Amino acid sequence: MILQGLKIALESLWANKMRTFLSMLGIIIGVGAVIAIVSVGTGSTQQVTSRIADLGSNMITIYSKTVRGQASTVSGGSSQENFTLEMADYMEMFSPSVKKVIPIKQVSGTLISDDINVSATVIGTIDEYAQVNNYGVAQGVFLSQDDDRERRQVIVLGSQLAEDLFDNENPIGKGVKINYNGRIFVFTVIGVMKEKGGSMAGSLDEQAYIPLSVAMDRMTAHNYVNSYLAQSYSSEKASNAAKELENFMIKALDDPDKENFKIISQDEILGTVSSVTNTMSLMLGGIAAISLLVGGIGIMNIMLVSVTERTREIGIRKALGAKNKNILFQFLMESLSLSSVGGMIGVGLGWLIAYFLSNFADWPLIIPVISVVLAFGFALFIGVFFGLYPAMKAARMNPVDALRYE
Amino acid sequence: MSKVVMKIEKMTKIYHLGKVKVEALRGVSFAVNEGEFVSIMGPSGSGKSTLMHIIGCLDYASGGEYLLADQDVSNLSDNQLALFRSKKIGFVFQQFNLLPRATNLRNVELPLIYAGIPARERKKIALQALQDVGLGERVSHRPNEISGGQKQRVAIARALVNHPSIILADEPTGNLDSKTGLDIMDIIQKLHEEGNTIILVTHEPEVARYAKRIIHLKDGLIDKDEVVA
Repeated sequence: MILQGLKIALESLWANKMRTFLSMLGIIIGVGAVIAIVSVGTGSTQQVTSRIADLGSNMITIYSKTVRGQASTVSGGSSQENFTLEMADYMEMFSPSVKKVIPIKQVSGTLISDDINVSATVIGTIDEYAQVNNYGVAQGVFLSQDDDRERRQVIVLGSQLAEDLFDNENPIGKGVKINYNGRIFVFTVIGVMKEKGGSMAGSLDEQAYIPLSVAMDRMTAHNYVNSYLAQSYSSEKASNAAKELENFMIKALDDPDKENFKIISQDEILGTVSSVTNTMSLMLGGIAAISLLVGGIGIMNIMLVSVTERTREIGIRKALGAKNKNILFQFLMESLSLSSVGGMIGVGLGWLIAYFLSNFADWPLIIPVISVVLAFGFALFIGVFFGLYPAMKAARMNPVDALRYE
Repeated sequence: MSKVVMKIEKMTKIYHLGKVKVEALRGVSFAVNEGEFVSIMGPSGSGKSTLMHIIGCLDYASGGEYLLADQDVSNLSDNQLALFRSKKIGFVFQQFNLLPRATNLRNVELPLIYAGIPARERKKIALQALQDVGLGERVSHRPNEISGGQKQRVAIARALVNHPSIILADEPTGNLDSKTGLDIMDIIQKLHEEGNTIILVTHEPEVARYAKRIIHLKDGLIDKDEVVA
């Protein structure tokens, strides 16, 4: 009887192709939107997280908290003074999960080449920075130990910075001036970094790297740094390392309330990012689900019109021996076919949208099976749920009245 | 002599239109034998449509008894009535009542579908029925592509496929010109000669005269039950 109903339903849907398509549209758009949005959500999440993971999931950054009212360049009782080079050595020593600690002295200023001025973050650091960050040069070389020891005024440019300063010329060997607090320092470009893209602190491609000794002794005359970058032995040990570092810093700075430093691991950032993107895709998926619901109401609307319009047909069928059940199944199968075919087209449409968006935005095309199953299942449920009332209305019609209906 | 196919006894039907009670049938009794050709005549409002709906198992009577093919139909459920319509009754309507979007073949197949006949057999029976009414060439046409007379023939073919106990014809010539009407009456006449039981509802005396027996209905009662020579 169900098969019979299905066959009659399909015949009638086929006979009204335009109406059938229009009533499916809501479901098509709803299912398509759910699948596209969830795919975009997971794809972009994966892209962001993989970028963060590229930065090294075993990385931990220790910042000094600048107390309000004390600029970093002004010395005078600031906790920053405790961030010395020796401290880096002690950190390595007292934290067994930590493989390497790299001091970072940030000196922001204006980079000048001929008549082009670009303000950029300049990072004073040591040779191991590149290796620890899994970040290498595209051209030339990175800073060396010799550069640091001999305080050579050499500079490695981020890829975007190199392009801004030198257009398409080869920058290696060229001179770059840095205007730092009104004083001019002249550097020679020895390398250009690979493209890396964004991080939490802005684009790495717009930074420049100089020897730590130059930044500390020549430019700032500080004997302390801004932050340390610590690398644990593995990403599994990252949380241990973070704890060890925290304990060490509390003791070293005699700062049990962690007022003067802050420790951030990449894991934490990753967690924050993915929870943010998860919330986003949940919200967007919810909106798409509402459109699916609206599509279902559209189906009910069309089915009710269809039942009224075909009152006479129902009367004829009943006069020829159709039971209430036959009529019920016929109309239920109609709405179910509408929603399932609409759902299938919607899955295809969602896939297409996700495909084009992922190509366009350059993130991986991921369509979680669960989203397809949920969207399609919800569409079927809507077909049955919103089809039931019109079908029951049709089935309960009095044959005499239905036959008289004009 | 002949077997009784249907028998109604003191049948009443009361409609409640708001607070007004309308008595459409006020105690009608008659019986129809197998192979009989009966016309039910009467002016509009005489209750003949109501009577036909009840005989056709489309509606319930308010009182009285109805026996169809030896079974009491008076107190059946919707589903059981549907079964009787499917097996025992063949309808021919004034409005033809064909499904406009289905082919003639499909229209004739419809009662067989609800009677649960398998698809292959269904098609064979329906094709044969269409041939019998002279529409073997028009099986895949749709009702809007054929003339009124042809539509009524499709409807007759449809009424016959389940071999019903009674063929109920409700003003079968009402929507046709007089010549086509005569053709249709000839077919119905032929069906009677083949042994089918026919109950014809009409208000035209010329149409009613095809039957051997005419029941005149007036104000919900049988006025006259005459046998015509």
